[in-house]
Amino acid sequence: MKIAVILRQVPDVVEELVIAEDGRSLAEDEVMDITNEADEHALEEALILKARHAATVTAVGVGGNEAKDALAAAVAKGADDAIFVPIPFKHRGDNVRLASVLSPAMKSGGYDLILTGIWAADQLDAGLAGLLSMRLSIPYVGGVTSISLEPDGTKGIVRKEFPGGRLGVMETSLPAVYGIQSAEQPPRYVPVSRVVQAKRTLRVKEQSEPPEVVVGMRAAKLIKSSSAAKAEMLPGDATQVAEQLVRILRERGIA
Amino acid sequence: MIQREVVVVAEHMAGELSDITLEMLAGAHELARSVGWHLTCLILADDPKPFEALPLAADKVVVIKDSSLGAPNPAAYARVLPHILKDLSARLVFLGNTSIGVDLAGPLSYALGAPAISGCVGIRAEGDRIVVTSRICGGKLVAQTEQGEGLAIVLVMPGSFHRELGMRDEVPPLEVRPVPTALDSLPVRFVELIEPKMEAVDVRKIPILVGIGRGVQSKDNLPSLEILAKELGGALCATRPVVDQGWLPRTRQVGRSGMTVKPRLYLALGVSGAPEHTEGMKESGLIVAVNKDPEAPIFDIAHYGATVDVLELVPILTEKIKEAKGSQ
Repeated sequence: MKIAVILRQVPDVVEELVIAEDGRSLAEDEVMDITNEADEHALEEALILKARHAATVTAVGVGGNEAKDALAAAVAKGADDAIFVPIPFKHRGDNVRLASVLSPAMKSGGYDLILTGIWAADQLDAGLAGLLSMRLSIPYVGGVTSISLEPDGTKGIVRKEFPGGRLGVMETSLPAVYGIQSAEQPPRYVPVSRVVQAKRTLRVKEQSEPPEVVVGMRAAKLIKSSSAAKAEMLPGDATQVAEQLVRILRERGIA
Repeated sequence: MIQREVVVVAEHMAGELSDITLEMLAGAHELARSVGWHLTCLILADDPKPFEALPLAADKVVVIKDSSLGAPNPAAYARVLPHILKDLSARLVFLGNTSIGVDLAGPLSYALGAPAISGCVGIRAEGDRIVVTSRICGGKLVAQTEQGEGLAIVLVMPGSFHRELGMRDEVPPLEVRPVPTALDSLPVRFVELIEPKMEAVDVRKIPILVGIGRGVQSKDNLPSLEILAKELGGALCATRPVVDQGWLPRTRQVGRSGMTVKPRLYLALGVSGAPEHTEGMKESGLIVAVNKDPEAPIFDIAHYGATVDVLELVPILTEKIKEAKGSQ
């Protein structure tokens, strides 16, 4: 059983996001990159399946050079090998383009299962996993929260989330692409020392196939949404804020 | 002038149209009316009966009927929709930015050679262009994309349009069609639908909720938050990352694929305000948000906000509430 996991580098939204002078992209120098959260869950699910089915896990790092750090972390967590797929900063968040760049490596790898997050923090268009499945002509289900595999490796059974807390159980033939919503358990922690160690010995295969030309997607304009903030901000330290809150709640008969 | 076609792909469960369908119709209707386009509500179902005689804000309702279309099987939808959308000469397609719509985005985008713009919170026509505004990066940024000629697919964020405007006074004509292509040997089989198991605490029915996000940092901080919720006469609920960490059960998750709540008070502690969460709580009567990041998008929808340390505030607030109750 061969599993590939796609790990995209995206802006860390906890940090301040600075819009570039062109008004339609983020300032590359100011962005702190992290691995997309849903992709971290995809890696965790792959590692769970590896433990259950003696599978091999290939981590596929997408982005700039910092993607190599994500690959080292993936190997430290238990991934068996690593592929680096460089993507220029301006094309991140464009899933049509990502799918076109990724599909040669996904096709030639002969994977039974390809996992990636159902969404990415910076995506403008939806559906990397679905786009890949179409390019590879294999089944796809997204919003997946758990996977079980038939011992003979011919079928996967997934649980998929629906609105309102409902779950759907679906079965697909393999190979397949699954878009992961969350793993069965929180992504595992790995000490920095082990990541540093993995980085020293990391052997990364870089994808060299030239991507086909696709009509991609870019924002015409990017705006900070906090400019629309409407909350009345309560000034002062924690005690002063608590006092004001209690007053507001009492006025409304809540406390 | 060629009549342009807007198609809303309906979502439904157990014979009922989902709120997102009405919200999409509201947005699509407003757009279609502003530019004189025709609007079709497209429903894929095994039985058209529940959808007959609904006063939907569309010029026409088309039901594609087949026994394989009872449950939202992404493979069945993805096989049928390209044929129908081509047949309807769709210029613009609305999908929900939900676990159902997102599953269709990639396959439809590829099959129809059309962009599938995600996270749409607003849409308007400017001359021949369609201008879509989307929330990205956890809601911190708004991206504007422009589409010229050709088909475009937009995925509408739940809560972006008023669902009441997705209905009107009259019932549009309804047409039932068979599937345009065989639905045998689908690569995905829908096995079963599992309804959520409710615990004793049903957050949808509790008037006071303390919503916790990643800003509460650790499971060890939960007891003091529980005490605060109890003092307020309410209960704890959480964002998806908190539930994914296993700190609270799935039934306490608020937002997309979780619960939609409308309490009298929603006290958001350490919640950033990602659209995935706010779509499930933004109709709350009073929203108070505490987050150290002054740019957190939760302040866009909160009535009151503060940027103090949540963990410092919680014990003080608990004491102040106790005092206030004692003085009554």
